[in-house]
Amino acid sequence: MNHLPQAWGRPRDDYYGAYDASYFQSNGPNQHTQQPIVTGTSVVALKFKDGVVIAADNLASYGSLARFTDVKRLRTFADTSVVGFGGDVSDMQYLDRLLNSLDTEEAYTSSGHTLNARNLHIYLSKVLYKRRSDFNPLWNQVLVAGLDEEKKPFLASADLLGTTFSAPSLATGFGAHLAQPLLRKVAPDEEAAATLSKEQALEAVKESMKVLFYRDARSMDKYSIAVVTKEGIDLKENEKLENQSWAFADQIRGYGTQVN
Amino acid sequence: MTSIGTGYDLTNSVFSPDGRNFQVEYAVKAVENGGTSIGIRCKDGVVLAVEKVITSKLLKPGANKRIATIDRHMGVVSSGLVPDGRHFVSRARDEAASWRQVYKTPITTKDLASRMGGYLQAYTLYSSVRPFGITAIVAGWDSEVELPVDGEVGSGPSIGSGGKVEGKKFGGPALYMIEPSGLYWGYYGAATGKGRQSAKAELEKLDLASGNLSLQDGVKEAAKIIYIAHADNKDKEFELEMTWISNLDGPTKGRHEEVPKDILEEAERLAKKELEGDEDEEETKEEDKPADGDKMEE
Amino acid sequence: MAAMFSQNPLMNGPNYSFNQAPVTAAGNKEHAFNPYTDNGGSTLAISGSDFAILAGDTRSTSGYNINTRYSPKVFKIGGTTSTQDDATLVLSVVGFAADGEALKERLDAIVKMYRYQHGKPMSVKACAQRLSTILYGKRFFPYYVHAILGGLDEEGRGAIYSYDPVGSYEREQCRAAGAAASLIMPFLDNQVNFKNQYIPGSGVGHELQEREKIPLPRNEVEDLVKDAFDSAVERHIEVGDGLQMLIITKDGIEEKYLPLKKD
Repeated sequence: MNHLPQAWGRPRDDYYGAYDASYFQSNGPNQHTQQPIVTGTSVVALKFKDGVVIAADNLASYGSLARFTDVKRLRTFADTSVVGFGGDVSDMQYLDRLLNSLDTEEAYTSSGHTLNARNLHIYLSKVLYKRRSDFNPLWNQVLVAGLDEEKKPFLASADLLGTTFSAPSLATGFGAHLAQPLLRKVAPDEEAAATLSKEQALEAVKESMKVLFYRDARSMDKYSIAVVTKEGIDLKENEKLENQSWAFADQIRGYGTQVN
Repeated sequence: MTSIGTGYDLTNSVFSPDGRNFQVEYAVKAVENGGTSIGIRCKDGVVLAVEKVITSKLLKPGANKRIATIDRHMGVVSSGLVPDGRHFVSRARDEAASWRQVYKTPITTKDLASRMGGYLQAYTLYSSVRPFGITAIVAGWDSEVELPVDGEVGSGPSIGSGGKVEGKKFGGPALYMIEPSGLYWGYYGAATGKGRQSAKAELEKLDLASGNLSLQDGVKEAAKIIYIAHADNKDKEFELEMTWISNLDGPTKGRHEEVPKDILEEAERLAKKELEGDEDEEETKEEDKPADGDKMEE
Repeated sequence: MAAMFSQNPLMNGPNYSFNQAPVTAAGNKEHAFNPYTDNGGSTLAISGSDFAILAGDTRSTSGYNINTRYSPKVFKIGGTTSTQDDATLVLSVVGFAADGEALKERLDAIVKMYRYQHGKPMSVKACAQRLSTILYGKRFFPYYVHAILGGLDEEGRGAIYSYDPVGSYEREQCRAAGAAASLIMPFLDNQVNFKNQYIPGSGVGHELQEREKIPLPRNEVEDLVKDAFDSAVERHIEVGDGLQMLIITKDGIEEKYLPLKKD
């Protein structure tokens, strides 16, 4: 008697019990992203005299599972800017493709003009704000590093709500708690950042990555780091954290094996 | 033309009894009146050049570009009706973008030529449309290294199942010419428009099939050929517009860009010098250059 | 029961082995996504007889984190250049910074269009009404901000308009908004509008005379603003880092920046 389309491929109630209608949601509300799935953790970045250093590790987690270990979360744009992505990896891929098509469309006009980091940051923040306003957010917090229209170092953040801000040092996620204080010590304000050398900035960022690896359970010791200057982008995607010391571990008291 | 008065030329998509489609042939006539366009496939890149006939002294020099970017690695130039060329570009950009949407990788020049060939051909099939009044030359550099998929996050396994194949060859330079009928072939050197005959004759002298011509030399040759081809059209002034696409190690890093001003001017200077020299010593030049046979086959 | 009145034979008559009308999961799904956040900070505006001052701290926060120490909340509106040099209006926004930014950009575009179409700058009164309309237009998905608009009115007097997130507004002498509004506003009531200030020895009960209200001079107002923020910084963790003041006079808009405590 199962000749009606509604019946096709469905188990009989009299035989298997009532069908669980919650699996059959053809007329339910449209489901938008409610939560990130595969996620990247912190991105950290610091301005210096001639540019910006930005870093993120190569891990993509599936909840607490370290799922993908060679995920490159720093994306270059037009050889002038780097975008560091925290949060959902598939949304990151979507944004990366969007930036790719933006770059291609820019090339249609042979004006020789390229979008600088500030332009890119505004573009990204408008995309993110539009999507949050549609209740269909792109679950990311991004840092945009590069140079502005005056070729001065530029660093700014945008997140899934469309919130934006700029500072001499920035860090997303866990890094906002752990790395940002370390970076602010090195560059408390714009004036201080403008006196930093590339080496000093690199050292501070690498030190931050190390602290994050010690304390962020969703981090790993393989990471990407990029330096953006007038000379271009120096992107390394397979760096290993060096000179780790776990000597402090047995000093830790209050939890684990040493309760007191 | 035997078509006049027969009525077989009055509508598109209709054959004449001897198997011709006159509307398409008329479209070819439109192309033959346009400024000369050429493309040269070099060993490390591709050059496009066009003779831009100046139709008014009130036009700003260097503005109103005739060579367009389709995707980052691909450009197109056309001879014939300029608005038809613009529509061709618009469609080609859509094709390239939609290919990326689907396959997350740049379209190859071959695939783009195929798509656009199909598109032009469709405009020969219906009475409600007319064929494109252009012949387009599409140039591209398909990346010689394995490209990551757009938005790719990892590098995949380096060995074993799904790993990299050692020494696999990818991409390279590509040049296609698409005619109003939808016909397209791949070429070593392509020319269309008013001066195509002399341009083709010059291209044949270059022995492009051997794959020895460098991109830098190709630029100079392209400028020279446009200047030679312009000889058929001498009463009108023209501007030379040139773009190129090099390999990833070259000057454009695989992207389609305008030839920089200094290189363009140097190429023009050499072209002019050679032309002046031509008129003096026509004979010696004929002996110097090996007049090779037809090198146009794919 | 509703089923008794149903004309649908599938629901009532002899049935199949399952309920054929597709059933949706009971109840609507809860959206886990919250489109709002609070970025802290405070703003303050005071009008005088021939000037208006709008001020805001420059700290941006999320939770206990400081996003940045310099993120302006007070903006010039409707100028014709990127530097907004010829602007005549000032908007301050505090609350959800992304909405604040979006609101500012919308109002700025509208005021610019007005200027180009009418060949004169928009009056504060007109802009105030327009801003209300914008806010109310998103009544059911509001801009989560407390906005204050400032300028000079047709008589050249300082004008301050303050708003709730859905566009209810009034012209006021002074207004504090944002995280430390409840700390600053009573201070303003007392110091600007002389609330609870009486003339000593003027009597008791109904005989007691209020201190006469006089418009404050600019330097005194600037000092009030500084004092208000210095105090707010002490008592509110979301306020600090820097104080930005825009002073509107007939000669244009002057900007002042002063450091606040960064703790």
